[in-house]
Amino acid sequence: MIECVDSARASTPEARASGVRPWHGYGLGLRTEHFDAVLNEKPDVDWFEIISENFMVAGGKPRHYLDEIRARYPLAMHGVSLSIGSTDPLDLDYLHELKQLARQVEPIWISDHLCWTGNGGINSHDLLPLPYTEEAIAHVVSRIGEVQDFLGREILIENVSTYVSFANAEMEEAAFLSEIARRSGCRILLDVNNIYVSSRNHGFDADAYVAVLPAEKIWQIHLAGHSDYGDYVIDTHDHPVRDEVWALYARTLERIGQVTTMIERDDHIPALAELVAELDHARRIGESVLQPARAACA
Amino acid sequence: MISLDPLEQRFLAHVRGGAEFPRAWCAQGRVDSDIGLSIYANAYSARLCEALESDHPVLAAYLGDALWAEFCSGYIGAHPSRVRSLRHFGAQVPSWLAQQKSFADYPAIAELAAFERALLDVFDSADGGRGDWSELQSLDPAAWPGLRLKFHPSVRLLPTTTNAVEIWRALKDTQSPPAAGASSVPARLLWRDRERISRFRPVEADELVALRSLLSEQRNFADSCEQLAVTRAADEVPALALGFLRQWLDEGIISQLDIASDGAPAPR
Ligand SMILES: [Fe+2]
Repeated sequence: MIECVDSARASTPEARASGVRPWHGYGLGLRTEHFDAVLNEKPDVDWFEIISENFMVAGGKPRHYLDEIRARYPLAMHGVSLSIGSTDPLDLDYLHELKQLARQVEPIWISDHLCWTGNGGINSHDLLPLPYTEEAIAHVVSRIGEVQDFLGREILIENVSTYVSFANAEMEEAAFLSEIARRSGCRILLDVNNIYVSSRNHGFDADAYVAVLPAEKIWQIHLAGHSDYGDYVIDTHDHPVRDEVWALYARTLERIGQVTTMIERDDHIPALAELVAELDHARRIGESVLQPARAACA
Repeated sequence: MISLDPLEQRFLAHVRGGAEFPRAWCAQGRVDSDIGLSIYANAYSARLCEALESDHPVLAAYLGDALWAEFCSGYIGAHPSRVRSLRHFGAQVPSWLAQQKSFADYPAIAELAAFERALLDVFDSADGGRGDWSELQSLDPAAWPGLRLKFHPSVRLLPTTTNAVEIWRALKDTQSPPAAGASSVPARLLWRDRERISRFRPVEADELVALRSLLSEQRNFADSCEQLAVTRAADEVPALALGFLRQWLDEGIISQLDIASDGAPAPR
């Protein structure tokens, strides 16, 4: 399915309400190490994604740089603490802080992960796997609903890398994610690297996974590097994006059309220019895959 | 069928400390479930250790690998995270160190940790105004006794009994640290300056009296002068107190001069 969307129009509230996938171009994860470089080098990056929790601080440099960078670039807010799949109550203090931050940042959107991070009040600070059951779908859908009502906007939910799957699963992960997106109205942040990592660990077909998803709901793509140990693969975000993932990215775009894309790097963080060059690679793939389609639209 | 809540409880207990997670609850995928579970367990402790190390790089260097590992596993076990940001995971590190027999015998260790945590707090505490000397000069001298100070939110007053800060400084410069010993000054003052750079300096006995009174106890200027007069001759006190005020205003650690809180505002 290929959509031709006018990017200026796609960001309007009307377009959002109509569910048309907006287009914001190519972004990078904003990391502390690059604060000064972003301001001084004015990199050719369309937008940045912040980790929301990193800016839930009272003041000082983080907030200063956030304001300065927000004045120059659109930002998306990506959280790691929503714990949407946990059986603990939703953390209302967290949601208040998230909403407060969103008021200041005016992000293009707010995202978090399809996982749970803690239970019994204890936070693992990891993205832990859910069983793919009807019970979990109902639980997650009702919580996404609460979060969206509270924030007054739809959120994006991201597939995570997993290393364990559960015997009580009633469906595949792609069906689980699709059903949650359909029922809750949330959008999908598709992490192509995570699909690759999990497909290797669990032995499923990554392309078939993408084919199952409701394409119109995929509003953002994550790309990242992983570590390949042969028998298993770990999502480490400490390498450039690997060729297998670039290839899956290209096939994904062919299937679903143009999607706002960014690269995550969380460890062994190189100079900003290196990540900008890596992002250009994503841009080239996007352009080469979508050029024929664009010509057809014209 | 296993429902979500017990599955999460058992899974987290396993990840945190090796409690058994029933293998029958795992699907057998391409990766053996033992390996899959161990990836989560390893990531759990590695992530928390990493957070502690990024907050306490100098403490880690001071303790050395073996003691640092002992500290990490002890702290992580005693204080599982109940915070949403790793930024606050180590909040109890200084108090925990001060209470552990194996570390408490060396009080410089807990003070070193307290110093590093104070630096973290200085870094991202709230922003605030910066009062200046001319503001003070414009006050009617008759209002001075009732003057109260609102310090910049980044200001931290840290009592020091050991030479932890000297140890910190040496290790920071990758020098070998001095032997643990007593502190040469009773306290350190830490703050974030106008350029958002974190600063610290020693605080001598007189200034500590003034800071305790004006900062910690939020008393007024007259009270702080009275406190100073306990150890100083009465005629020395005004110049001494004024000198501190001038220094603090120059350093930018006072956000606001408040003369209204003792009743009627003084005429200007
Ligand atoms: Fe991701």
